[in-house]
Amino acid sequence: MRRDWKFYSQLGLTVLLCLFIVIPVGMSALAGVTVNVFKGLSSGLTLRWIIEVWDLYASSIMLSLWIALVCLAVTLVAGVPLAYVLVRRPGRLTRLFEELLTLPVAIPGLALALALLITYGGVSGYRSSWLFILTGHVLFTLPFMVRSVAAVMSAMDMKMLEEGAASLGAGFWRRFFTVIVPNAKPGILAGALMVVTLSIGEFNLTWMLHTPLTKTLPVGLADAYASMRLEIGSAYTLIFFILIMPLLIAMQALADRGKRASKRIDTAEDTL
Amino acid sequence: MSTQIRLRDCAKTFGDGTRALAPFDLTIEGGETIVLLGPSGCGKTTILRMIAGLEFPDKGGVITFDGDDVTHQSIEKRRVGMVFQSYALFPNMTVAQNVAYGLKVHGVSREESDARVKDMLEMMHIEMLADRRIDQLSGGQRQRVALARAIAVQPRVLLLDEPLTALDAKLRVRLRTEINALLRKLGITAVYVTHDQEEAMALGDRIVVMQKGEIAQIGTPREIYRKPQNPFVADFVGAANRLDGQMRDGRLHIGTHVFDAVDAFDPRHGAIIDQGPVELFFRADGLSTCDAARAHVTGRVEAVSYLGERLRLTVSGIGAQAVIVDTHADDVIAPGADVHCQINPDRLTVFPVGAGAGNSAANQSAHAVS
Repeated sequence: MRRDWKFYSQLGLTVLLCLFIVIPVGMSALAGVTVNVFKGLSSGLTLRWIIEVWDLYASSIMLSLWIALVCLAVTLVAGVPLAYVLVRRPGRLTRLFEELLTLPVAIPGLALALALLITYGGVSGYRSSWLFILTGHVLFTLPFMVRSVAAVMSAMDMKMLEEGAASLGAGFWRRFFTVIVPNAKPGILAGALMVVTLSIGEFNLTWMLHTPLTKTLPVGLADAYASMRLEIGSAYTLIFFILIMPLLIAMQALADRGKRASKRIDTAEDTL
Repeated sequence: MSTQIRLRDCAKTFGDGTRALAPFDLTIEGGETIVLLGPSGCGKTTILRMIAGLEFPDKGGVITFDGDDVTHQSIEKRRVGMVFQSYALFPNMTVAQNVAYGLKVHGVSREESDARVKDMLEMMHIEMLADRRIDQLSGGQRQRVALARAIAVQPRVLLLDEPLTALDAKLRVRLRTEINALLRKLGITAVYVTHDQEEAMALGDRIVVMQKGEIAQIGTPREIYRKPQNPFVADFVGAANRLDGQMRDGRLHIGTHVFDAVDAFDPRHGAIIDQGPVELFFRADGLSTCDAARAHVTGRVEAVSYLGERLRLTVSGIGAQAVIVDTHADDVIAPGADVHCQINPDRLTVFPVGAGAGNSAANQSAHAVS
């Protein structure tokens, strides 16, 4: 097929725009492994900054991962049953509850953090522990888990599946864990990845809630940029990138798989 | 060993106050197949769900299985097998796992469960599908899996909620025949809900015809078909032709013709009446074409459809509405022609006027709650 000038001009524009976005990422990554960023690449490549970041901020990175995992556990335990109730018992009350649940997404993280500080700032043991940050993260990520799970749950006929299982003698908890949860798995997985990604990257809220002893990964990053050499901040970004990329790719892959599954139509013939 | 089901004084009012079922009594004998038949919204599914334990009757209603009061028992405890219109199979399990589910719940050992699953799949002729996922099955195959799954746990009663409605016509007849054979072979008490009169006739030992939350008639397929007890049942089981007449001294007058030995039954009083205006309900065989000299009534052909073994005429001018008359397939009749008919009095069902209008009753009940 012959392509005319329109095709090439559009391609050119697209490539240009992509470069506009990608080049800073590449530059930043490169800066993280350059000996001296002001002298440029001629100064040579090194892993020194990455090692230095690790030495300085390993605890922040580990704390972030820990909070993300605990946050995931909490949103799973609370979010899956919550989604179930919202889908299974639709009504004015559940609608209201769903709105309330989504509120933390709409409200600026700063405001949410202020509210938490005003309310619990005086509880010293709580205020200074990582649990305070966890609270913020759970508030912020829970709606994403609930939404994701509820979407899958409302696509299956839960009432009928449950009646089928109940007629075979299965009680509520058995039905929930052997029929409802396995069939909601795509939504639970997507929600889980979303929660972990959001928790690791959350800055607004966390920045307000953290103490010098409870710094998370993004807070540490801001700190590094503000008070260290540019190379260290860049190396930090590189580490952040390496952590978050696999999660984003997994999320994308999961979404693709979901799309393919829903596209697959009933191809079996009624030969019996 | 088959379980007898009794429902006594069972009524159902939903939360918003709508009356789904008027109080009724129903006894289903052990091993019997009962079909609940009626238009959508007549309450037939509610009765099924009450027997299942998915709905509970209003206060005062009692449901017993072989004398055991199960009124307040939940579905998990009742040991009922259920088959749904949309299958309700578990998409996260294979065919074999679906069938084994109930066995696992009941704590049947692995070996016994494997053997039972194998038997069930063989009985439903789907043993080659054991490891398939549910989304790889056709509708007919899915319903076979659902039947196998319901029967595997050896339930006390088998409840089937329009199991064939989602299938195409040819498959429906085939699976219906198989279900019939299966029910006879198992000798299990079965309750089958459908809106399809033909399905009801083919499967039921007895049929319960429902209308607007009430039982319109209970009887064998033959009784329902030949002796409908009210205009609604007559209309619903296919006697859709209607003529007006008069009863005088126990004899039926239609126009200038008089017929003997026709019973006019008044369902409101449960009595035979011999005076007053009546409505006649009949199928296509209530009228037969003849020559002008012997005709009781004459009408005009509106439409002709060739059904293969016979010719079906839509005729106006005989009753208030057009009636359906069958004639020989070889007859050549064009729309617009006059047609002469004889009335076959033994094919008529006679009700006093006002005993309940067949057509309008069927239409109204569609608005009631199912």
